[in-house]
Amino acid sequence: MISIRADRGRLWAVLALLVVLQFAVRPDLPYPRVAPDFLLLALMLYAIRSRPGVAAVAGFVVGLAVDAVTPARVGAGALAHTVVGYLAAWGRAVFFPDNLLVNGIVIAVGVWIRNAIQLLASGPGVGGLPMELFVWSPLQAVTTAVAAGLVLLLFQRWLDIRLDT
Amino acid sequence: MALGSDRSLSRRDNALFFLCVLLSVAMLLRPAFGNRVAGYVRDTVMRPFLWMQERSEQSRATRSAFDRLRAERDSAAHAAQFLSSLRAENQRLRSLLGLEARLPVPYVPAEVLHQSAPTDGRTLILSAGSRAGVKRFDPVISAGGLIGVVRDVDRDRSLAMTWTHPDFRASAFTMPAQVFGIVAPALQLTGSDQLLQLRGVAIRDSVPNGTLVVTSGLGGVYPQGIPVGTVIGQASEETGWERIYIVRPAANPENAEQVLILRTPHDSSVARAFPGDTAP
Repeated sequence: MISIRADRGRLWAVLALLVVLQFAVRPDLPYPRVAPDFLLLALMLYAIRSRPGVAAVAGFVVGLAVDAVTPARVGAGALAHTVVGYLAAWGRAVFFPDNLLVNGIVIAVGVWIRNAIQLLASGPGVGGLPMELFVWSPLQAVTTAVAAGLVLLLFQRWLDIRLDT
Repeated sequence: MALGSDRSLSRRDNALFFLCVLLSVAMLLRPAFGNRVAGYVRDTVMRPFLWMQERSEQSRATRSAFDRLRAERDSAAHAAQFLSSLRAENQRLRSLLGLEARLPVPYVPAEVLHQSAPTDGRTLILSAGSRAGVKRFDPVISAGGLIGVVRDVDRDRSLAMTWTHPDFRASAFTMPAQVFGIVAPALQLTGSDQLLQLRGVAIRDSVPNGTLVVTSGLGGVYPQGIPVGTVIGQASEETGWERIYIVRPAANPENAEQVLILRTPHDSSVARAFPGDTAP
């Protein structure tokens, strides 16, 4: 019981660290458009350890926070993060979560799906959808996946996983 | 029993998922409701996070902008040597034409707090709010030109709608030909360039490529003369009632780091800026 509580505490500590990275370190990184999205990474790390319903609610809360600071079309972020959280929790059943590469690919796909849903729900923009979907979003997905790999390697004990690289 | 419990959990998962989707769609379909919720979240839950980001942006700007600011200061000091003679000349010409002094436009400098969402750039969070005197509909500019307009104001932060937002419009004219039109984002599904359109140009007027487009001052939101962009071509117009020109923007909101919020004196009369014979 104590062990489970300690594990949860460590998970929350990693999630809190990612939130701090999002707001305190990410602004320092060059090319904000493709810099890793630590908030979505935190959501996915939480979602693949939770039941789909809880992950959907977590996604909705994160999405609402994203909508609050990027309110081009409020609701688009909430919808996108809800779907990604729910799918990540379900996906745990079909992929092998202790492999670093698989984790990276799953997180990269999550970023791309989030961006695709948010862009489609927000309506056409000035940049053109293909450019956003096939250039900027994949680049952000890759940087987020690399950040996820580093986080998993650094905190694999805290996240209670044995990585099979 | 375990199977039944699993089934019940699965039903609860699906119910929670559909509830979240429903709430998201409700906010999408009712923008007023969504904006109210977003404003509340921004002003309460997100306040410490935005504060953290603001401190980070300020420290980064301090480090990275030092050399650039020193170069700009040197250029400004050099240009200022000719300012007094230009002012005197301007004043003499204005008095010859019977014009009052130009209205001063006070401003508030602000940092841009960029976010990770793909729609960042359509709206921007700025690090100055009502405490600094920012109001709704204050224009936002950068060193290059027009960025957008303030849409919502909190105590310490404000939210700007930029020219990339689908709802953005501004009255503008070309210089030097003074052809009037309405500037709007060139929304597109394909293509990669972020462009504007100068719409509503009379069919008798033609604008050559390379012409500068600036705000006209009509409508009372944007002061006259803020650079919007440069004409780079003409778009096809199906009905044939107007000409539409493609404009390359002077400033890109996605790259903006520091901006100026022009504090439009909404409550002051602009009549004194006009000579007696043209005043209403």
